[in-house]
Amino acid sequence: MTAPDVKALTCPACGAAITLRTGAQALTVVCDSCHAVLDAKDSNLSILQKFGVKLHWTPAIPLGTKGDLKGEKFMAIGFQVRSITADGEKYSWREYTLWNPYQGYRYLSEYDGHWNDIVVAKSPPTPVPGSDPPVVEFHGEVFKHFQTAEATTDFILGEFPWQVKVGDKVQTNDYVSPPHMLSSEVTKEETTWSIGTYSSPQFIWNAFSLPGEPPSPQGVFENQPDDYGPRASALAKVFALFAALLIVFFIARQVTALRAPIFHQSYAFKSPTSDTSAFVTPVFPITGHTSNVEVTISANVANSWAYFNVSLINDQTGKAIDFGREVGYYYGSDSDGPWSEGSTEDVSYVPAVPPGNYFLRVQPEGPVSFSTTNYSIALRRDVPRLAWFLIAFVLLAAVPMFMQFREMMFESMRWKESDHPMGKTSSGTDDGDSSDDS
Amino acid sequence: MTRKYAVFGVVVLLLLAAAELRGWSLDSTSETLNVPHTVRDNPGSYRPAYLYTGSGRYLRGK
Repeated sequence: MTAPDVKALTCPACGAAITLRTGAQALTVVCDSCHAVLDAKDSNLSILQKFGVKLHWTPAIPLGTKGDLKGEKFMAIGFQVRSITADGEKYSWREYTLWNPYQGYRYLSEYDGHWNDIVVAKSPPTPVPGSDPPVVEFHGEVFKHFQTAEATTDFILGEFPWQVKVGDKVQTNDYVSPPHMLSSEVTKEETTWSIGTYSSPQFIWNAFSLPGEPPSPQGVFENQPDDYGPRASALAKVFALFAALLIVFFIARQVTALRAPIFHQSYAFKSPTSDTSAFVTPVFPITGHTSNVEVTISANVANSWAYFNVSLINDQTGKAIDFGREVGYYYGSDSDGPWSEGSTEDVSYVPAVPPGNYFLRVQPEGPVSFSTTNYSIALRRDVPRLAWFLIAFVLLAAVPMFMQFREMMFESMRWKESDHPMGKTSSGTDDGDSSDDS
Repeated sequence: MTRKYAVFGVVVLLLLAAAELRGWSLDSTSETLNVPHTVRDNPGSYRPAYLYTGSGRYLRGK
């Protein structure tokens, strides 16, 4: 950066030395000592505003510090604190005026650790008619209205290329398209548009070689990029691929599953329960690869139940898989009409049965009754299960759904501070606008 | 993140394939080893160790 035309002057209010870093460019300069606002265009530095400063802010970037913003060198020359009041609460942010003798002016803003790199827009955006909330288009990018408020200048330091005083008020309109923010400042005389780009605190710290670590950003800023959005989108695409594979696999399984019948027999029993009611079936082969075995027990129970202790026993190894199933069916009618409960059929699955010769040991049980219960037992092997596909679908969907939820929460936090919080109607928002403006 | 999810998805699909083709089941069963061949002659003497009892009415073991 070429050395600026530095002018050394004296404050007419307190006599302290004043340095004009931008030379003839400055319109306003503030005395570091007494904070008198001086007319930089006047060779005698006439006093524009003189006041007793009750609060003093120290800029995080000391005035006079030179920095490198993406290859362009700038010097911090001005600092101001501005605020808006919304719902009775005051929100303050800090703005830095940067200057380069060739590039001109550039600005940085900081709110709760969130930084924006701002340049003045050379042309205004184009409003998109009929949009609610309002939308504007700027260089092909669509910006959504975020907030309209009245900003007040609370503190100034250094020099500025415009006339500025403490207490100055302007109407600000923010439109966002993360990571960009389009802002207008409206006074009686003019409307100025600027375009800001969200910057990481570490980037600012490195650009100006500031000591220590930057304060961590708090909350979600209006044009803060949503990291969850692109990730959620990418995960959704991968999930769509997995879901398609899942459907293909499901169809293939439905087509190729053997569902091979391996045993079917009908029986009857009368005694309620007894070891003597137990019996074994003839030996039957289960062939092919290790697979599940579907066991279907059908019984002619009516307002009654039957319980079956079943063991699928390998005739060669003596290994038994034991399980118990109940078949119960009840029906009737009451003031609400006919009702029924249960079923006369029960289907269960024996997992991972290797090939071999098997027989069943069955011990039926039932309530004390004089009637005979007829039932049948049917076995099929290699039967597809919908449950596994549902479990796989839930597992695959969980991660992208969680990311979508995080994205939604992020956007909800972003818009919570706006004139258009998520989930509120436009009419409700309008009410909020009027209260903000009052 | 996407890569980790892709790996996770592949693992889920492989587990699904294994579960389907090997016939894994969520239904509870219990296993008894070395059931004597005499069970065929005297089925009532066998006392399986039940885990699943349907209504919960019969929870008993040997």
